[in-house]
Amino acid sequence: MRNLGLIIPLLLAIFGLPAVAVSESIKVREKLAEAAISSEEKQIQILESLIESGDPFIAKVLIAWRRGELFLIEHEGSTIPVLLENADSKEPVKAFALKNGKVLNGKSGKKLTFVPSQQKAAETTRNLRAQIKKTTDLLAILNPNPKLRAEAAFKLGSQGKPEYLTALKNRETVEDNPKVLKKIKEGMAISQLRIGDEKQRIQAAVNLGELRCIASLDSLERIIREQEKLTKGEKNIDLIRETSKAIKIIEVHKDWVNKGQTVFRGINYGAVLLIVSLGLAITFGLMGIINMAHGEMIAVGGYSAYLMQKWMTGFFGPEALQWYFLLAIPFAFLAAATVGLLVERSVIRFLYRRPLESLLATWGVSMILQQCFRLYFGAANVQVNSPDWLIGSVSVGDMSFNYNRLFVIAFAAVIVLGTGLLMSKTSLGLSIRAVMQNRDMAASMGIRTSRIRMVTFAFGSGLAGLAGCFLSQIDNVGPEVGSKYIIDSFMVVVTGGVGNLLGTITAALGIGTADRMLEAWSDSPVVGKVLVLSAIIIFLQARPGGLFAANSRSLD
Amino acid sequence: MQLTASRLLMSHLIALAVFALVTLALVPLIYSSGGIANHDIQRYGKYLCWAALAVSLNLLWGYTGLLCLGQCVFFGLGGYAFGMYLMLNVGVDQVYKTALPDFMDFLGYTELPAHWKPFESFGFAVGAVIWVPGVMALIFGFLAFRSRITGVYFAIMTQALTYVAWILFLRNEFTFGGNNGFTDFKKILGANLYSHPHTSTNGKELLFFILSALLLIVTILLMIALTRTRFGKIQRAIRDSENRVRFSGYCTENFKLFIFTLAAIIAGIAGALWLPQAGGINGDVFLPRESLWVVVWVAVGGRGTIWGPVIGAILISALKSWAQREYENTWIIILGGVFLIIVLFLPGGISSLGKKLLGWIRICRSRTENFITNRKKKVDPNGDGEETLQ
Repeated sequence: MRNLGLIIPLLLAIFGLPAVAVSESIKVREKLAEAAISSEEKQIQILESLIESGDPFIAKVLIAWRRGELFLIEHEGSTIPVLLENADSKEPVKAFALKNGKVLNGKSGKKLTFVPSQQKAAETTRNLRAQIKKTTDLLAILNPNPKLRAEAAFKLGSQGKPEYLTALKNRETVEDNPKVLKKIKEGMAISQLRIGDEKQRIQAAVNLGELRCIASLDSLERIIREQEKLTKGEKNIDLIRETSKAIKIIEVHKDWVNKGQTVFRGINYGAVLLIVSLGLAITFGLMGIINMAHGEMIAVGGYSAYLMQKWMTGFFGPEALQWYFLLAIPFAFLAAATVGLLVERSVIRFLYRRPLESLLATWGVSMILQQCFRLYFGAANVQVNSPDWLIGSVSVGDMSFNYNRLFVIAFAAVIVLGTGLLMSKTSLGLSIRAVMQNRDMAASMGIRTSRIRMVTFAFGSGLAGLAGCFLSQIDNVGPEVGSKYIIDSFMVVVTGGVGNLLGTITAALGIGTADRMLEAWSDSPVVGKVLVLSAIIIFLQARPGGLFAANSRSLD
Repeated sequence: MQLTASRLLMSHLIALAVFALVTLALVPLIYSSGGIANHDIQRYGKYLCWAALAVSLNLLWGYTGLLCLGQCVFFGLGGYAFGMYLMLNVGVDQVYKTALPDFMDFLGYTELPAHWKPFESFGFAVGAVIWVPGVMALIFGFLAFRSRITGVYFAIMTQALTYVAWILFLRNEFTFGGNNGFTDFKKILGANLYSHPHTSTNGKELLFFILSALLLIVTILLMIALTRTRFGKIQRAIRDSENRVRFSGYCTENFKLFIFTLAAIIAGIAGALWLPQAGGINGDVFLPRESLWVVVWVAVGGRGTIWGPVIGAILISALKSWAQREYENTWIIILGGVFLIIVLFLPGGISSLGKKLLGWIRICRSRTENFITNRKKKVDPNGDGEETLQ
C-alpha cells in the first residue's frame, strides 16, 4: 500500500470538494472570489466581514489560499479564481470556479483541465496572511461540528489575545452545546490568566480549578514560577494561593483520569488476551494438546486479513479498504480452521495418548509454518490497514477511548458468547464435551470421536485465526506475531483452570488489568510482566488447578 | 538381544572409555600437531557443552518425567556468572578508557555496581556458576513441587520462567549488557583466552575443550551410577507413577527438588564452559526457542537413555549448522520435518533405531516365513499351486 498517501487526498479531492461546492451559499462564494482579485485593504475588509457567517467553507478556501493553492486563471478575457481538483497533481486536472463552484468549461462546452504547477496562484501579503489566520481561527469556533468547535475554542483561549477573548465571550452567550461551553469557559479562563488584571487572574485560576482543566496545568504552573521570581512586595499572595489550590484540584482529577485510562487499557489488553487464548482454551484446555502451533494459527489469521485486503483492493480499488475487513473475519476463521484440520489429521491424531509429545510435534509444525510464512510473505511485517471507521476515538470527560480498542472488547465479548453458546446449547457442543470428558464412553454412545476431535481442533484453530485477524488491527502482522502471544495464552489458560471457559475469561481480564496497572505503577512494562508472572506462580501455590479447577476424584 | 544388567553396564563403560580416549587424548594430539584449527576445536567444545546440557535435561525429563522447557535459564545463568568475571578482565578499552565493561560506560556508570564487585575474584565467579543456577532452581522447584505442579503445567511454568529471564536480560538497566550482552573477552587469570595467529600468542582453546569433555564424562558417569542405585530407581518410579511412589511413603517432592537442582547445576557449569568457546552471550540465550531446542536434542537422541541426549545434541547441532549453510531458506523446514517424523514414528529417538530395525527385520523375516509356509500349505493340498496363488 505504498500509494495510500496519494490515494486518500485524491479521494477527498474527488468526493469532498464538489459536494461542498454545491451546498454553499453563493453570496459567500462571490465575496471570496471578489477578495481574491482585490487590493490588500479590500481583502482584509472582506475577510473581516466574512467571519460572522461562520461558514466552514470559508476556512477551507482561506487555507488553500495561504498554501498557494487558490489559482487565478485567465479565462474568456477575465481573471477567474479557481480551486483545482488536486493541487499536488502533475497531470492536468479539472478546475472549479470559486464564484459558483462549477467546473470551468471551454467554448465548445468541453471541460478545461490545467496543470497546477503551471498556473498562477493568488498571492498573499504578510498582512493578508495574518488576517487569514485570524479569520480561520475565529471561524473555527463557529464550526458546526461541536468537536472541532470545542477544540478551536480552547486553542483560541490559550493564545491569550484580547480580540480572541472577546470572540469567546460572544460565543459563550449563544453556545448551547455543554461540552463546547466547557471548553469555551476553559479557553476564556486561560486567556484571562495570561492577559487579565490581577482580579480577573485570580478568578480565572479559581475557575480553572473548578473546571478541572488538565490542559491548563502548564499555564497555572507558569504563574507560580513567575510569582516566585518576584520580590516580596510585588507578589500577589491571593493569586499564588488560588493557583496552588487549583493545581492541587486538577492534579487529583488528573490522577483519577489516568487511573481510569489504565483500567481501560487493562480491560482492553485483557480482551486481547482473551481473544488469543480462547482458541488455546479449546485445543489445550479441552483437548489436552499442548499446542505450540497456536501462535502460527494466529499468524494465519493475520495473513488472511492481509491477503483479503490485497485481493479486494486489487479488484475493487482503494474503496475496498473500508469494508474488506468484514470479509476478512470469516476468511481468517476458515483459513486457520483448514490449516488446523490438516495438522490434526496429519500429526496430532497420532498423539492423543502422548500429550508431552504433542508439544514437540506441534512445535515442529510451528517451526515449519513460521518458515513458510517467511518464505512466502517475507521476513518483514506486512501492512494491514484499518478501515476509517476503526480510526479515531470517543471521549468521555477527560478520558478518551480508541474505536479499535472498543471494537476489540466488543469482539471479544461476541466470540466468547458464541463459543459458550456453541458448547452449551448445540448438539455439537454436547458431543465435544462428551468426547473430551470420556472418549471411550462417548464412543460407546455412538459418537464418532475421531471426527469430533478433528472438528474441535479445527474450531480451536479457527478461533486463533479470528484472533490473528483482529490483532492485525492493533499490532503488526509478521511471521512471529503468534509466538509473541503464545506464552501469555498458556498462562491465561493455566491460571483460569484447564477446560473451563469461564476461568479463561476471568484469568484473561484479571491478568490483562493487573499487567497494565503494574506497568503504570512501576513505570516499566518489563517489571509489570515479571511481577504478573511471579504472581501467577504464587497464585498456583494456593490453587494448583487454576481459578476454576475441575473437581475430580480420578488419579493418574 | 537381551542384555543383562552387568553386560549393559560394561558396554556403557566401554563406550565412555572410548569417548574419553578420543576427547582427552586423540583430539588434543591432533590439535597440538596442528590438525585442527582453533575455531574448530571451539566448535567441538561447544557441542560437548550442549551435550552436557542435554544430559542434564534428560536427567529431568527422561529419568524423572519432569519436562523442563527452561533448561537454558540455568545454562544462561552459569554463562552470565562466569561472563561477569571475564568482562571484568577485558582491561582498559579503546573507546571509553576505563576498566569498566563497555556497556556500563555507555550507560553512564562511573564505578562498578555492588553486585558486580565480588566477581572480580575468580574463585567467587566459579562458585557463582554453581550456586546461582542452583539457588534459582531450588526456589523455583520448591514453589512448583510444593503445590504439585506436574506434567504439562510444569513445562509451561518453566517456559514462563525462561520468558521472564529473556525480557529481564534484554533490558539495559538490568546491568547485564542488555541487547549486546557480554562479548570481546580477553584474559582469564592473567593468561590470554584466545590465540592470535598474527602475534603468535597461545590461547586456552584446548583447555576449555578438555574441560568440556571432562564435564560430559563426569555427568555420564553420574547417569550410569544413577540408573544403578536405589535413588535412581525411585526417580524412575516417580516418572512412571508418582502417586504410587507417594503412597509407598516416599516424599517425592524432595526427590524431584534434588534432581531439579542437580540438573540446574550441571546446566550452569555447561553454560560457563560454553561461554568462552562461544565468545559471547546475550539475553537471547533465554529465548523460549533455545530451551525447546534442548528438548528436541533429547527427544531426537532418545530420552531415558544414557547416550541418546549426547548423540541428539551433537547430531542436531551439526546438522543445523550444515543445513543453515547449505539451505539458507528451507533448513528450518527440513529440520522441522525430520523432527516431526522422529516424534511420530520413532518415539524412542535415534538410539532406539537399532532395536527398532532389529524388530522390523524380525517381523519381515517372520512374515516371509509365514508367507512361505502358507504358500506351501496352499500349494500342497491341490498339487497345482501356480493357479491357486493367483
